[in-house]
Amino acid sequence: MSDNTQGLDFRFDCKPDFGFLTVNIPQGDTLKVEASAMAGMDTTIKMKTRIKGGFGRFLTGESLFINEFTAEQGPGEIQIAPGPPGDIEHVYLENETIFLQNSAFVASAMNIEVESKWQGFTKGFFSGENLFLIRCSGSGDLWFNTYGAMIQIDVDGEYVVDTGHIVAFTDGLDYKVTKVGGYKSLFLSGEGFVCRFQGRGKIWIQTRQVSSFLNWVYPYRPASNN
Amino acid sequence: MITEVIGKPAFAYINVDLEPGESVIAESDAMSSMSTELEMAASFNGGFFSGLAKKFFGGESLFVNTFTNTASSPQRVTLVQATPGDVVEIDLDNDSICLQPGAYICSTPGLKLGVRWAGFASFIGREGLFKLEVSGTGRLWYGAYGGLLEKEIDGEYIIDTSHLVSYEPQLTLKTQLAGGLFSSFFSGEGLVTRVEGKGKVVIQTRSMSGLSSWANGKI
Amino acid sequence: MDIEILHGPGSAAARVQLESGECLTAEGGAMISMSGDMDITTTTMKKGKGGILKAMKRMLAGESFLINHFTPGSRGGEVLLATSLPGDMMVYELDNENLIVQGGSYVACEESIDIDMSWQGFKSVLADNSVFWLSLKGRGKCVVNAFGAIYPVEVDGEYIVDTGHIVAFNETLDFKLTKAGGSWATAIFGGEGLVCRFQGKGTVWCQSHNASSFGSTLGPKLKTR
Repeated sequence: MSDNTQGLDFRFDCKPDFGFLTVNIPQGDTLKVEASAMAGMDTTIKMKTRIKGGFGRFLTGESLFINEFTAEQGPGEIQIAPGPPGDIEHVYLENETIFLQNSAFVASAMNIEVESKWQGFTKGFFSGENLFLIRCSGSGDLWFNTYGAMIQIDVDGEYVVDTGHIVAFTDGLDYKVTKVGGYKSLFLSGEGFVCRFQGRGKIWIQTRQVSSFLNWVYPYRPASNN
Repeated sequence: MITEVIGKPAFAYINVDLEPGESVIAESDAMSSMSTELEMAASFNGGFFSGLAKKFFGGESLFVNTFTNTASSPQRVTLVQATPGDVVEIDLDNDSICLQPGAYICSTPGLKLGVRWAGFASFIGREGLFKLEVSGTGRLWYGAYGGLLEKEIDGEYIIDTSHLVSYEPQLTLKTQLAGGLFSSFFSGEGLVTRVEGKGKVVIQTRSMSGLSSWANGKI
Repeated sequence: MDIEILHGPGSAAARVQLESGECLTAEGGAMISMSGDMDITTTTMKKGKGGILKAMKRMLAGESFLINHFTPGSRGGEVLLATSLPGDMMVYELDNENLIVQGGSYVACEESIDIDMSWQGFKSVLADNSVFWLSLKGRGKCVVNAFGAIYPVEVDGEYIVDTGHIVAFNETLDFKLTKAGGSWATAIFGGEGLVCRFQGKGTVWCQSHNASSFGSTLGPKLKTR
């Protein structure tokens, strides 16, 4: 399927609008997959839910839930669908670190460590955006998705991105969250918070913004009966 | 009749060019634009009882529109489904196909929409006891939210219930839990469909439940 | 000014390359990213006077419109613009003409284009107050987006478009709202309701999908508001 010489065999379908992942898991291997993302799988694969730390973590509003799928009885194929419409990307980390917006995580090899509660990530990213970052590190495959199409930017110097459009960025880039042009612009420009990246590295951005979607769908939501 | 599906897979829409005398049947509110010389008539979905059965068990709306060309030259109607996503165009030759509720968009007059008893196993899932079955000879267009992928089943395969769009009638479907009782609940996977036999299924690469879970997480 | 549409129709974005001295006018909230030395200033639409608070009030009433002006530094710069609606984007070059655009579909235009919010054409007949219409006049490029794929219909005579599917049209066209199918029974039961009959010579840009149909399908599955 893929030319992925180092990691697992996989393929993508329906890029860039409804990017979909199919992975061939060799017998005995396990894949970490975002909760409720499994769309199809061979019957040789068994699913286990890993809620580390028991119920406590579940109740504290853990921002990322991961299930583990193991090809127990033989090799097996698993098909994975992200929630929002958009693209999907693969990177093979070689003892590297990458920061992801938490709802961008799709799947990874077992060797990739996925940390979702490191306080340092929320530095400067205000919770109004609901932008929680997770940190993925180690060696192995990582797949992540975007809401909308994906644009990869190679930064060498400085680049400004609206915080709602950030998907992932490599370790080593310096980032600072600011408002565009002072408080007046905050309310008027609609841009709100932007992130100024400096240095050398890669950023992945998405062409769509959750807040626009939520604003548009608001009138269609059921009204609460009080 | 000349037809074309454009805008795949994100916003697939169907251009139907009808010759004089030809008709196409479409689900309610499917028309995006059309020539003024086409006649449009709403009718109760295929006879009284079948219409009600389809509404309660098949998930389709009660009414369909029939577009007929009463002019003397070809006329166009552009048809679309309610959600963004892909569309499949399929020709049936005295055979049938089973569809998920809501997947039907439009078809030529030689096809009949019926409701088929799917057995008790389906009751647990969001499926309901009945399935929408399209049969006869003609052309059918159906779609779903997401891209559409065809898959050959030979043996058995597990498909998340909200991702199954259509299947050939000789396949058997059984509903089961994704894992053990605990993991099925906490995993977010819940109920899945076990497909057995030999035949084709079409799956959708996104689902309305996946989209709403993602959106609810951001609210 | 160079405008390129990427990833249409599903996840369209517009990449605008500006030269020093040029200025891009864009709807508030449309920016994805931009070059480090780009400058943004914000104004409200000409329709209102009276400062920021009044503008905010009008915005909530659906009557005002916040726009950003992007001016690059001395080396020129790039702005990436997003869509407010999931769907395609289109660049149209106005040649001293008038384009009527659905308010929610406006994304950006060159500074030379005049944006007018006072076009009242549909107001008397369409009860839907959440939909407003803009009139774009002059010479230069503009970017619009839609819910779905955008397809043009060249009208030479007449053509019917479902009201939820109109993105933009030449002002040279006449239009009339009519019942779909000629009878009220068909219009209501067939789900189409009122449709727009365009007459004359000109182009109507349609969107393949209907935002309210999708909203009504998805809405009930979401948390209450």
